[in-house]
Amino acid sequence: MSRPPRRGLAPEALVAGGVVVLLVALVVAVFLSGAGRSLYPPDAATVQAQDTRGLYDIVFALAVAIFIAVEGLIVWSILRYRRKPGDDELPPQTHGNNLVEVIWTLIPTAIVLYLFAISYQTLNAVNAVSDTPDVRVHAVAGQFQWKFEYLDGAGNVLATQTVPYYATTSADCKAASLTNAACGGMAVPVGQKVQVTLDSPDVIHAWYVPRFLFKRDVVPGQTNKFEFTVDPTDAGQVFRGQCAELCGTGHRTMLFTVLGLSPADYQAWLASLVEIAQRTPPPAPSGATTLQLTAQNIQFDKTSLEVAAGQPFVIDFKNMDPAGVQHDVDIRQSDGTTVVVDLQTTDGGKESQYQYQALPAGTYTFICSVHPSIMHGTLTVH
Amino acid sequence: MATHVLTPATTAYRSGLYEWLTTTDHKKIGMMYVINSFLFFLIGGTFALGVRAELAYPGLQVFQNEHVYNEFFSIHATVMIFLFIIPMLAGLGNYIVPIQIGAPDMAFPRINALSFWMLPLAGILLLSGFLSSGGAAAAGWTSYPPLSEVGPLKSPGSGEDLWILSIILIGTSSILGAINFLVTIFKMRAPGMTLFRMPIMVWTVLVTSVLVLMATPVITSALVMLFIDRNLGGTFFDPFHGGNAILYQNVFWFYSHPAVYVMVLPAMGIVSEVLPVFSRKPLFGYRAFIFATAGIGALGFSVWAHHMFTTGAVFLPFFSLMTFLIAVPTGVKMFNWCFTMFRGKLSFSTPMIFAIGFLTMFLIGGINGAFSASVPIDFALQDTYWVVAHLHYVLFGGSVFGMFAGLYYWFPKMTGRMLDEGLGKVHFVLMIVGFNLTFFPMHMLGIQGMPRRIADYASDAGWNDWNLAATIGGFLIASSILPFLWNVFVSLRNGKIAGDDPWQGNTLEWATSSPPPPYNFDRLPEIRSERPVFDARHGRVAHEA
Repeated sequence: MSRPPRRGLAPEALVAGGVVVLLVALVVAVFLSGAGRSLYPPDAATVQAQDTRGLYDIVFALAVAIFIAVEGLIVWSILRYRRKPGDDELPPQTHGNNLVEVIWTLIPTAIVLYLFAISYQTLNAVNAVSDTPDVRVHAVAGQFQWKFEYLDGAGNVLATQTVPYYATTSADCKAASLTNAACGGMAVPVGQKVQVTLDSPDVIHAWYVPRFLFKRDVVPGQTNKFEFTVDPTDAGQVFRGQCAELCGTGHRTMLFTVLGLSPADYQAWLASLVEIAQRTPPPAPSGATTLQLTAQNIQFDKTSLEVAAGQPFVIDFKNMDPAGVQHDVDIRQSDGTTVVVDLQTTDGGKESQYQYQALPAGTYTFICSVHPSIMHGTLTVH
Repeated sequence: MATHVLTPATTAYRSGLYEWLTTTDHKKIGMMYVINSFLFFLIGGTFALGVRAELAYPGLQVFQNEHVYNEFFSIHATVMIFLFIIPMLAGLGNYIVPIQIGAPDMAFPRINALSFWMLPLAGILLLSGFLSSGGAAAAGWTSYPPLSEVGPLKSPGSGEDLWILSIILIGTSSILGAINFLVTIFKMRAPGMTLFRMPIMVWTVLVTSVLVLMATPVITSALVMLFIDRNLGGTFFDPFHGGNAILYQNVFWFYSHPAVYVMVLPAMGIVSEVLPVFSRKPLFGYRAFIFATAGIGALGFSVWAHHMFTTGAVFLPFFSLMTFLIAVPTGVKMFNWCFTMFRGKLSFSTPMIFAIGFLTMFLIGGINGAFSASVPIDFALQDTYWVVAHLHYVLFGGSVFGMFAGLYYWFPKMTGRMLDEGLGKVHFVLMIVGFNLTFFPMHMLGIQGMPRRIADYASDAGWNDWNLAATIGGFLIASSILPFLWNVFVSLRNGKIAGDDPWQGNTLEWATSSPPPPYNFDRLPEIRSERPVFDARHGRVAHEA
C-alpha cells in the first residue's frame, strides 16, 4: 500500500477536526444535560431489572463510543477529503490492506464475545426460577382481560382477581388503583420472590411491565414461568403493565397494574380477597324475574332481553366457552359505554347467578365487558 | 478479445403500450419493477401516515374502529417489505446486473417477465382485502396464529386469506427471479469477467438470490399450513388440537430474518458502487467485502429466533451468540466503506449524499440492534417502539437511502438524462431530517414502555411529546417525496443529456450508451479487473499506482 508524502496540516484537516470535536462535544453535552436520559430505561423496580439495567449501561457506553468513532471517521472524511474544483488528479488507488482487515475483524469479534458473555451471565440471573417462591401467581391472559389467580404452595387457587375492562385508557385504572388494589389485578409483597406462571386460552399475549424491564409471552398451549422480586423500598408503588403482543382489536385495552405492598399489608389484602371468594352468594330474592343467558364461541345466545321496570331481576348466566375465556353480563346505558352495573366475570365452563338492582324504564345495553365489540345486546326495561 | 455485436430481431411495429406489456427486455422489465415498486412505496407510505396521524395525540382521532387501525399497520408493513423494498431492489438488479457482467439479457427473459407481472397482481389481491366484508388482514405483517386463524376476535374475514395468497404469489415471483439471477450470473458473464472481477452489486444480488432460493420455500410452507388451518380444518397451529402456535414463528422467521438481508444486501451493493466512484478510489478491501457479504448470508440463517426471545420456547444462548456474531461482517463492511472515502477525492453529487446517508443511518440501525441481541435487554425492548426504531433504521435508513442512491446514480443510464442536483439535495435534506425526527424518538418511546401496534395510549404515560415529534417527522418524510417526483417529471423532459458516462464510473454499464441499446452492448471493453471502465479511461498505470 503506497502512502502519499506527508505534508503539513491542511486547512481542511483543521476544519474537519474542529467539526468532529464539536459533534462529540454536542453528543456528550446532550447526555450530561439529562436530555439523553430518555434513552435510558426507567428506574428499575425489581432485583432482576437492576441486573438488566447494569448490563444496559455497559452496552450503551460501548454503543456511544462506537457511534462517535465511526460517525466521526465519516464526518472527518467528508470534510477533509473534498475534491477541489478542477482537480483531475486521481488520489492514491489504495485497494485494501490485509492487516487492517484482520484487525477490524478481530476487535469487533472480541467486543461482541464480551457482550455475549456478560449478557449470558445476566440472563441466568434474570431467568432464574426457584422451587420455593414466596408467592405464586397464575396469570391468565384472554382476549382482552387479565386474570390473576393466587396459589398456595400446592398450587391450589386461593383467590382470583380479574382486571375490569376499561373503554378508555390506563389513566382511569391508574387513578383507581392508587386507592383500590383490586383495579390493577395484581398485588405483590415487596422484597419477596414472586413466581408467575402464564397461560392463554386463545391467542398469544405478553405480560409486560416497563419498570421491571421485562416481558414474557403468554402462549396458548405452553405454560411460561418467570420470577421477580420487587425492590423492598417500593412498597405502595404502582407499576403499570400491559399486553405487548398484538392480540386483536382490544390489544391496547389489556392493561393491568402491579401494586407493591409491604408483606404485612399483602397478607391482609390477600386475606380479604380470600374471604370475598369464600363468601356464599345470597340467594336470589324470591319472586324476582329470572332470565337465561348463555355465551358460546364468544357470542351471547340472545340479542335482546326484557324486564319490568322498578323490580330487581336475575340472569342465570352460563359460560360455555373453554376455561380461561372470561365473560360477564354488565349493564350500560344505550350508548354502550356508560356503566350502570359492573359485575365479576365468569370463567369458561362455569355458571353464575347475576343479580341486578331495579332499573328505571328505558333502553339499556347488556354487554360482556371483556368482549364489548362483539358481545352485546339490548335490554329493554318497561 | 470479446466483441459482441448483437442486433435485436426485427419485429413489426407495435404500439408503445403493447411493447411494454409484452416485453422480455430486462431493462424494460427492470424499469417496470422500479415504477411498480415506487407506486407501492407511495401506497405503503400513505398507510404509515394514517398510523402516525392516529398516534400524534392520545385518544382516538383518525380511526374510530381499531380494527381499521390494525389493518393499516399490517398492510403498511406488508406493502413496504414485499411490494416495495424487495421488488425495488430486485428491479434495480434486473436492470443493472446483466449490464454490469456484460450480458445481453437475463438468462430466462420470459420467466423474468412472469416474475414481474406476478407483483402487481399480488398487490391487487392484498389491497382488495379492504373491499371484503371483514376488511384487510389485520394480524400484523407477521400474522402470528392463533390470532391469524379463523374465529371470533381472531381473523374471521377473507382479508387474511388474500394476504396469504398475495405473499405466496410474491414468494413465487422471488424464487423465479432468484433462479434467473443465479443462472445469469454464473453462465452469462462476458469473457474476462471472472467471479472476483464482478462488481459488488452483482455479488450482493448473487448472495441475495441464494438467500431467497433457500428461505422463500420455507415461509411458503408456513403460509400453506396457515391456509389449511383457516380453510380446510387443519390444526397445525392450534395448540388445543395437537398443533403448536410457536411452530409458525420458527418457520416464519426462518424466512423473514434472511429477508432482512434480502432487503439490505443489494442496498449495500449500490452503496459499494457509488462510494468508490465519487471518492475516485477503488472499494477498500474488495475481497474482504465479498467474504463479509457471504458471511452475512450464511450467518443470516442461524439468527431467526432472536425475534422470539420472549416466547420462552427457544434456546437463548445460541441465538444470542449468533446474533452478536453477525455484527462482525457487518462491521467489516462499515470500515471498508469508511476507508474507501478516507484519503479519496470526494465529490458530493446526490447519489453520493444518499450513500453517505446510508452509512450514517445504517450504523445506528446496527448499533441499536446489538441491544436486542443481548437477551435480558431484549426482554425489555421486544415488541416496543424500540424495535420499530431499529427496523426502520435498518430498512429505511439502510435500504431506502441505498435505493435512492441507486435511483439517482442510474437514472441517467436508464433515461439518458440527468436529474437536477438542487432538487436532489432538497429531497435528501428533507428526508434525512424527517427520518430522524420520526424514528429516533421511537427509541425513547420503546425504552419507556410504549408497545407496538397500539392505537392509543394514556395521556399521562409520558409518551406525548415523542409521539408528536414522530408524527411531524413522518409528514416531513412524505413531503420529501414531492421534490423527487417533480425532479423526475421535469428531468425526463428537460434534464441535461447524460452521455455514456456522466459520473466517470468504474463498471460496464458506463461503457454503453444511455439508455443502453437492445442487448446492451455494441462492443465491450477489456475486462481485467473489477473496474474495466476505469481501466479503459486511465490505463493500467493508474490502476497499479
